[in-house]
Amino acid sequence: MKLKINGQEVEIDDAYGSGLLIWAIRDGAGLMGTKFGCGAGICGSCTVHIDGEAVRSCITPVQNVVDADIRTLEGLPNEDGMLHPVQQAFIEQQVPQCAWCMSGQMMSAAALLEQNENPTQEEIVEAMSENYCRCGCYFRIKSAVARAAEIKQEMA
Amino acid sequence: MTTSQEPKTKKRRWRVTRRGFLLGAGATAGTLAIGVLAGRRPFYRFLAGQLDNASAPGGPAEDPIAWFEISPDNDISIFINRVEMGQGVHTSMAQIGAEELGIDFEQLTVVQAGTQKGAEPAAVTGGSNTISSAYLPLRKAAAAMREMLIIQAAGMLGAPAADLEAVSATVRSKSDADQSLTYGEIVAATTEWPELQEEPVLKEASEFQIIGRSIPRVDFEAKLTGQPVYGYDLKTEGMLYGAVIRPPTIEATLLSVNAGSAAERDGVVEVVVDEELGFAGVVATTRAAAWTAVNSLDVEWDEGHLWSQEELDDMLDFDMLDGYVIQKEGNALRVIDGEPTLAAEYRTPMAVHAHLEPQAAMADFQDGKLKIWTSTQGQGTVKGQIVAVLGMEEADVEVVPTYLGGGFGRRLNANVALEAALLARAVGRPVHVGWTRQEEMRHGYVRPSTRSQLSAKLNNNRIEALSHRQASGEVAFPFFPGFLQAIFGTDFGAWRGSFNFYEGIPNRQLGAYLARMPIKTGWWRGLGLMSNIFATESFMDEMAHAAGVDPLEFRLAHLSDDPFSQRMRGVLEAAAERAGYGESLPEGRAFGVACGPDVDTVVAMISEISVDDDGFITVHKVTQAIDAGLFINPDGAKAQAQGSIIMGLSSTLIEELTVSEGRVVPNNFDRYPLLTIDRAPEIEIVLLESDLQPRGMGEPPMGPVAASVANALFNLTGKRIRQLPLTPERVRAA
Ligand code: FES
Ligand code: FES
Repeated sequence: MKLKINGQEVEIDDAYGSGLLIWAIRDGAGLMGTKFGCGAGICGSCTVHIDGEAVRSCITPVQNVVDADIRTLEGLPNEDGMLHPVQQAFIEQQVPQCAWCMSGQMMSAAALLEQNENPTQEEIVEAMSENYCRCGCYFRIKSAVARAAEIKQEMA
Repeated sequence: MTTSQEPKTKKRRWRVTRRGFLLGAGATAGTLAIGVLAGRRPFYRFLAGQLDNASAPGGPAEDPIAWFEISPDNDISIFINRVEMGQGVHTSMAQIGAEELGIDFEQLTVVQAGTQKGAEPAAVTGGSNTISSAYLPLRKAAAAMREMLIIQAAGMLGAPAADLEAVSATVRSKSDADQSLTYGEIVAATTEWPELQEEPVLKEASEFQIIGRSIPRVDFEAKLTGQPVYGYDLKTEGMLYGAVIRPPTIEATLLSVNAGSAAERDGVVEVVVDEELGFAGVVATTRAAAWTAVNSLDVEWDEGHLWSQEELDDMLDFDMLDGYVIQKEGNALRVIDGEPTLAAEYRTPMAVHAHLEPQAAMADFQDGKLKIWTSTQGQGTVKGQIVAVLGMEEADVEVVPTYLGGGFGRRLNANVALEAALLARAVGRPVHVGWTRQEEMRHGYVRPSTRSQLSAKLNNNRIEALSHRQASGEVAFPFFPGFLQAIFGTDFGAWRGSFNFYEGIPNRQLGAYLARMPIKTGWWRGLGLMSNIFATESFMDEMAHAAGVDPLEFRLAHLSDDPFSQRMRGVLEAAAERAGYGESLPEGRAFGVACGPDVDTVVAMISEISVDDDGFITVHKVTQAIDAGLFINPDGAKAQAQGSIIMGLSSTLIEELTVSEGRVVPNNFDRYPLLTIDRAPEIEIVLLESDLQPRGMGEPPMGPVAASVANALFNLTGKRIRQLPLTPERVRAA
C-alpha cells in the first residue's frame, strides 16, 4: 500500500494497513522521528500533521488517512533542508533533555504557528498542554515556541 | 562537532602507563589512543573482587570510562563509556577533554562506547556521579596526550618542548608561527610513543576556555531531526518484532504455558517458551502481530496473594521491622524522654519513572555471538545478566548503548535486553523488543512508599533534640546480592536524604527501617531523596512555627560555621534574596522554603504558591539556589535543575501509584497522569560556585521540591498536609 508522507508517496507493507498510523510511519516507512510514548493518545509524543492538523498517530487508524497528507518531523525542514523555525528555536534555546518528547512538542508547536502566527503565552500554554515532557523542559518550551514565531516572521 | 553512536574502530587492548592512564594497543597503526581510568569507587572494587571478576581493580583489564583517539587525518574523537539520557553528559565530558587536549571544542567527535570486554560493573550511569568522578581523570588523560604530542613534535621540529604550545589541535612554536604540526601529522609520523616522565601539568581554572561555558549540546541536531538514535528506533535488515507474556498480578508465578493458537496467527514467526526461565514470547513480522499473539498464548498463573494498598501501607510498621541507627549525635531519645514538644508523621506514595521512551532493545544472535543495542543506563549490567542467563562467554556478548529517552533509574536492569536476546537466539534473526506503556506501568520496579515519624524537644526557640524514624521499601538492595546487603547493613537508597545536617542541633538520631514489599521496588531519580526531605524539611517548618520563628531564620540559626554549613547558608540566603522572600506578596500567595544536600551539592528552594477554593494548588514561581562547586556547563546544569523541579512537582502534586487486588492500578497515563506545561511554574536558578570541584546535578535539585510546596501551603492556609501528593481532595479535607 501507499501513504503520502512529507509530500512523497511511500510504499508500505500491506501488513500495516489494518493497524495504527504510528507503526506504519515508524516500522513500515522507517521514519523514526515520530515517537511512541503511551499508545493511548495522552502523551503527545506521536503527534504528526494530517492535512495540517496536529493528530496523535498512535490512535489514528491507517485506514483513515490513506488519502491524506501526512507530515512528520522529517518533513518539517523546507526543500533546501533548512530547519523549521520551531526546530531552530528549540536548538537555539537548548530546550530538550532526553528529547524523546520533542518531535511531538515541535509538531504541536508547528501546527499552532500555522494557525496563529503570533500566539500569546496563554495560547502557547494551551496548545502545548497535552504534550508530556518527563524531563521537565516546559519552562524552555514556553519561550522557544514564542521565539519560533519570531523566527518564522523574520523568515517570511 | 559531530556525534556517532558506535565505535568504528576495533576492540582495543590497553596497557597501563606509569602515569596511571591507558595507552591503546592493537589499534589501527598510526593512531594514538589514550584511555581514562576513573578508578572504581571502593564499592565497585569490592564488588568486582567478590564476583570473581578477573579484572584487577585499576588494572589493564578494566575498561576505561572514556578514551581519546587521534588519527593521522587529524580526526579527534572521545569515546564515552557513559550514556546520554538527557543529562548532557556527553557534552560536558567532551568539554572537559577538549579543554586539556588543546583543541577547539568543534574539533572533537563524541562517540558512545559499548562494552569492550568483561563484565564491567562500573559501566553504569546514574547517581549523579559521572562528572564528579570523571573530572580529574579525564583532564589528566587529555593533558598527558597533549604532553606526549608536544614531546614528539619537539623531536620532529628540532625545538625544545618548552618553546612549544598546543592550540587548536596543532603544536606550534611560541616564537615562530611557521613552525607547527597538526596532531594528525605528529601521529602519522610516530610509531613508538614515549612514556611521560612527569605528571602532566593541568591548566589553571583561570585558563579555562571550554570548561565553564554553556556549550550547546552535541546530540540535539540528530535528535531534533528524527535520526534513529534511540533504542526504540533500531531497525535492521530482516528484523522481527518480539513480545513477552506478563504476569497478571505483582506476585504471580507461572504454572504452565502453551503455544495454543498463537503460532497460527497472521505474522507470527515463532512462539518461544522456556519454562525453566518462566519465559514465553512471540516473534512476529510486525509489533502489532506480536502484541496480539502474545495475548493468545495459553498461560496458567498462580496469582499469589491479592495485595491491597492498605496491606502494603501497613508493612511500613516500625514495630514489625528491624531498625538500624544511621546517625546519632548526643542522645535524642533521652532528652525527648517520651515527651516531645512536637511530633508528626509523614507518608509518601509509590511512583513510576514514566520515562517517555519505553524500554527497548534489538538483539542479533549469529554464529554463537550476540550483539545487543539497547537504551540502558547499565551496559555492564546488561552484559553480565545476559552472560549469566544465556550461559554465554563474555567475549561473545557485545552491548552497545544507544541514546536514552529518559532514564531516571529505571534502565538499570536488563529485562528488555534479555527478552530480545532470548527471542533472537530462538529465531536466528535480529529481534526488536519495545515495551508498551502498560508494561512500563505494571512490570517495572517502583519508587517505594515511605513513612517517617519525627519528634523533637524545643528549648528557648531552638531544637534541643530531634529523633527521626524512617521506614521505606527497598531501593538499592534489590540490585545487590545478599552478601553485599549484609555488609551494607542498611539500604542507603532508602534513607537517602534523611541524614540530618543541622549541626546546631545537639541531640540527633536517625533510625532506618526497611521493608521488603511484595511489589518490586528500586532506583528512582534521587532514590529516597525527595520523599525523605519532604518529611524532614516539613518538620523543620513545623518546629519553626512552634518556636514562633521565621522558617528561614530558624534554619539559618541551626546551621554551624563549618564549610558545609556555610555553603548551605549561602544557598538559603541566595534563594531568599532572589525570590524576594520576606517581601510582601499579592493577596492569596505565600512562600515556602526548604533545603537539602545530596552528593555534596547543596540546594535551597523557595516556592511561591496560591490555592483555589477547590484546593487546587498553583505553583507560580520556584527559585532555587544551588552550590555544586564548579559548573562545567552552566546552562546544562540549569536544565538539570529545571527538569528535577518539574519531575518533583509532578510527584508533589499529582503522582501516586497504588495497588489493588494484587495489581498495579494504573496501566497508562489516564490513571497516572504527569504534570503538564499548564501547571509548570516560572523557574529561576541561581548557580553558586563555592570551589573548583564539580559535583552532581542530576538529582540534588529534586530534594527540597515537595517540602517547599507543603511549607508554602501551610504558610498560606494553616493546613499542614503530611502525605503526598498534595491533591485538591487532601487540601480540602485538611
Ligand atoms: S504515543 Fe500517542 S499520544 Fe502518547
Ligand atoms: S525531553 Fe525527555 S521527555 Fe521531554
